[in-house]
This record gives sequence, structure tokens and C-alpha cells, in this order.
Amino acid sequence: MRDRQPGGRLSGMKRCTVVGRPNVGKTLLVLSLAEHLKARTVDVTFMDPSGAKQVRTYTVSAAIRELVGPRPHQTRCLQSIVVEVPAGKGRKVVELVDTTGLVDHIHEDLQIRRAMAQTLQAIRPAQIIVHVVDASTAGRDGSGPPAGAIDRQIADFAGSRGGYFIVANKMDLPDAARGLARLQRMFSGCAVLPVSAAERTGLREVKRHVLRSL
Amino acid sequence: MLAFEPRDPNLVLAGLEEGRLSPVEALEVLKHSVELGQAGPAGGQRLEEPSSSSAWRLKEALADLDSLIGLDKVKALVREIVAYVKIQQIRAARQLTCEPLALHMIFSGNPGTGKTTCARLFGKIFREMGVLEKGHLVERERADLVGEYIGHTAQKTREQIKKALGGILFIDEAYSLARGGEKDFGKESIDTLIRALEDYRDKFIVILAGYRDEMETFIRANPGIRSRFPIHIEFPDYTTDELLRIADLMLKQRDYRLDLAARARLEFILTRRAGPGNDHSGNARLVRNIIERAIRRQALRLVEKPNLSREELMLIRREDITDDFSA
Ligand SMILES: Nc1ncnc2c1ncn2[C@@H]1O[C@H](COP(=O)(O)OP(=O)(O)OP(=O)(O)O)[C@@H](O)[C@H]1O
Ligand SMILES: Nc1nc2c(ncn2[C@@H]2O[C@H](COP(=O)(O)OP(=O)(O)O)[C@@H](O)[C@H]2O)c(=O)[nH]1
Ligand SMILES: [Mg+2]
Ligand SMILES: [Mg+2]
Repeated sequence: MRDRQPGGRLSGMKRCTVVGRPNVGKTLLVLSLAEHLKARTVDVTFMDPSGAKQVRTYTVSAAIRELVGPRPHQTRCLQSIVVEVPAGKGRKVVELVDTTGLVDHIHEDLQIRRAMAQTLQAIRPAQIIVHVVDASTAGRDGSGPPAGAIDRQIADFAGSRGGYFIVANKMDLPDAARGLARLQRMFSGCAVLPVSAAERTGLREVKRHVLRSL
Repeated sequence: MLAFEPRDPNLVLAGLEEGRLSPVEALEVLKHSVELGQAGPAGGQRLEEPSSSSAWRLKEALADLDSLIGLDKVKALVREIVAYVKIQQIRAARQLTCEPLALHMIFSGNPGTGKTTCARLFGKIFREMGVLEKGHLVERERADLVGEYIGHTAQKTREQIKKALGGILFIDEAYSLARGGEKDFGKESIDTLIRALEDYRDKFIVILAGYRDEMETFIRANPGIRSRFPIHIEFPDYTTDELLRIADLMLKQRDYRLDLAARARLEFILTRRAGPGNDHSGNARLVRNIIERAIRRQALRLVEKPNLSREELMLIRREDITDDFSA
């Protein structure tokens, strides 16, 4: 377990932290990206806010079954997966860190507040930050701005840095095309990539953006 | 915009954990600390840092517990409870069904057997594990909870419960709430407490403490309490040897030590006090009283002497030791 520690055995490993609101598809994105990179099994390292650490090996489909779900805050700790990304002749090793979704308000559950603090901690040392938003809710009528205060804040925080881009997920759902256009307007000056983690579309673009930031 | 201006990112994260800052506000502050060059985006930082500071404090609280003299069964039970809470948290994170944590406890034992000390450590332990927001100890007894007229009791009890939210409400000699029978206002206090256990589920932990036999009768007579307090911890009397080691520990913490004759006298007093039917009359509390008295008597013995050596200032002698507190 020790050698799985970030920055441990695999020196020079880059960290890519995936953030966003609850339920936008962060976990599914991480797992489908691993699958896209030809991983058959994934070792998921769970790091909970009180410091406990566990590694579990899943097939990608089992991980999706167990870790992705319709309830908000399905993910309540950092879950990291190490993947290899082909780069030119060689390959680069990247740690994908899935996080607890961030909300606008002060959450009433202490466990979730602790988990969100862990998310912020994981943002700071990351070389790459992937910010996931839900394109279909962004496209729905009458729902104010396409993304909320926390999204604006994440973009502000991370946007000035090299390795930052936005994934507009759930492009398979209605209204998503309109949502994408709105998001691109709202976050002009920043790459907003259309993706459907569910249908595995747009992942090649995501991979290219990750590689470009390494 | 914000009431404070933390430069230390860890303080910002603590503010988020404690519910003083929303994630939006926390990021706002962190953004500025990055701009201030306080935390470069470069890699190398470990992800576990915020949690590891609480993990470290948890270890420390457990080490404090271990450093208590004796109490082997209590220590083992605490480990069990800590393991149970951890596994429940991991299970929750993995979407397995979890009963709500039921951590209300009964502590039974004679005075001075370490009940308050352990309750305070539980507060720290549960705070670092994220079970309690603050982990402070509010120690109360009948007089703080029971009032003089109808309605007064519920109000007084609720007031104390409010103070304990986020921490532990420790009620000493809890059975005294049931004394006086049906008409006594103590019953109103028990009812208020039980209602609060439902209303403020997960917001605080109640520990009921007192002599073993009285606690047993009390619990048997109050099924509402029995069903809500699943953890029972018994604090046995200390042996004379343990009491002597407690004395050594208390003195060492205060930079004093006993000479051989003083130690023999203390042992004699403790053995006599520990006699049958004597309840050890005070256990660790008796030891503390004797020691605090001895420190004052030593001071009186030395105060007129010129040229005191370091050794003299530290040494407690036979004549400083007494268990006669009337004088
Ligand atoms: N096992 C121990 N090792 C070292 N010190 C101890 C131990 N148990 C108790 N003490 C010390 O003895 C004193 C009395 O202990 P504590 O107040 O916890 O006992 P208690 O059971 O709550 O009794 P009381 O009825 O006096 O409140 C405290 O100063 C505490 O630090
Ligand atoms: N239709 C659709 N649903 C998705 C997509 N990505 C995720 N979901 C669903 O959205 C819900 C939340 O996904 P999850 O990955 O757990 O979100 P997280 O909370 O951000 O980690 C689940 O029910 C997923 O099946 C997508 O691209 N399209
Ligand atoms: Mg998730
Ligand atoms: Mg006490």
C-alpha cells in the first residue's frame, strides 16, 4: 500500500484531479477514461478524511457498478486510480483523483464537509484539474446561469493555471447541446470539451488535453 | 467579505470542515493565498495532509489513553469502539447500509476511577474521527438539570443539552435523577433528555455515570434509557500499586518526587484506605488530594529556609504526606 502513495513509487507521476458539483459524472468520467486507456482492471485507492487508506482492485465494469450512482455524494472520499497514457513512443503515468462533489452552501453533514475539505486539498497540488459540469442541466430553460457559484469559483481558482479545462458531460441527454453553447460562452477563454461518459464519447479529446498539460 | 483572514490554507480547510465557510468562500480565500505565493501549484504535496493532522491528533488522544495507569479493560473497549466507528464510516463511504452510530454510554464505578478523564478523551477521539463537531465535555449533575417548578426542569435540562451540542454531556450520579419517585422533577429531566437524543441524533453523545449498583438499578427501572445506551464501561477500583503509580505520574507531571519514606507512608495510607468496605474512598481523586496537600505542606516547610537547592524544591518528604484533610 505504501508504494501506492501519491508521489511515491512512481516518481514523476503527474496528478490529475477531477472536480465539480455532486452528480455531474466525475466518477463515471474517471472510470470510462481508464477504460478508454485500455485498463481492464483498476486499483482504486480510497483515502478517507480521517486518513484511512484502502486499495481495491475492480474490473472497470464492477467499479462502475459499485462507485457510480444517481444519488448525490455517492463519492465521499478521494478515490485515485493510476493509469498509463500513451505519449509519442512511450507512455506517461498519471494519477486520476476522483473527489467528493463541491456545493455552494455550507453542507449540514460533517462527514461531507470533511470530504469536501479533502477535495480542496487535492486541487492545490494537482498538475491538471479537470472541472466537470453537467451540460444537460446547463441547457435547461429558465435555470439562471448555466453553472453556479462554485463552478465560477473553481474556474477562477484553477483557470489561471496551465493544466485546467472543463468537461461538459452528459452530452447524450436532451438540452445538452444548448448547455454546451451556454457553458462555452460563460467560460470563454477556457477549453470546454463535450463528453458523454455514459456513451464514451469525447474521451479522446479529454486524453489529448491531459497529455498536452503534462 | 470574510470575518477572518486566514493565511494558513489549513485554517481555511478547518473552517470548511467546521461549517464556518462554504466551499465557495473557502476557494475564494485559498485563491488569494495562492496569489500571495503561499502555496505554489507545484506537485509533491501529499494528499492526506489535512486528514493526517486529525489522524495525528487521534493517535495522540489514543496515546494519552494508553498512558493512563491500569484501566486495561477500559482501554480495550475504547479500541473496539474506535474500530467500530471507523468501519461504519468506511462502510458508509462504500454505500453499505449502516445503522446510525449509537454511542451513548454508561460509566459505572466509584469516584476517582477515571470516568471523567476517559470521557474527556472520548470527546477528543470522536472529534478527530469526525463524529463530533467540537468534542468538548459538559459535566453536569442533578442540581444543574432539575428545577423547582413544573416546566422549569425541562427548560434547565434543555439549556445544558444545548451547551453540550457538538460534544459530550456527562451526567454524574445520574441515578439521582430518578430519586424521589413519580412526582419528582427528575423524571421530567430524564424525559427531556430522551427526547433530545432523538431530536439531536448524531449531534452529541450522552454519558451517564455513577456507582455501579445504583446505575444498574437505575437502568433497569428506565427502559427508555436502557435501549438508548448500548455501551457500558465499568471502571474498577485501582489496586494500591496502581494508585502509587498514579501518584508518581501526577508528581512527575508537576516536577516533584517522593523520597523513600514518603512513598512508604503514602503506600500505608492507600492500603489502609483500601480496606474492605472502604470503596478505596476516592481512588485517584484521593491520591490527587493527598498530593496537592503534600505540595502545600512542603511549601510551608521550605518557605523560611534560605538557599534552597533544586533537589529540595522537588522532594516530598514523609512529613508532607497526610490524609487528614480536616486540618
Ligand atoms: N488511570 C489513571 N492514570 C493516571 N491518572 C489518573 C487515572 N485515573 C484518574 N487519574 C487522575 O485522577 C483524577 C481523578 O480522576 P477522574 O476525575 O477522571 O475520576 P472520576 O471517576 O471522574 O471521579 P470523580 O468522581 O472524582 O469525577 C484526575 O486528576 C485524573 O487525571
Ligand atoms: N446520461 C448520462 N448520465 C451520466 C453521465 N455521466 C454520469 N451519468 C450519471 O450521473 C449520475 C452521477 O454519476 P457519478 O459519476 O456518480 O457522478 P459524481 O457524483 O460526479 O461522481 C449517475 O447516475 C451516472 O450514471 C453521462 O455522460 N450521461
Ligand atoms: Mg462520484
Ligand atoms: Mg468525575
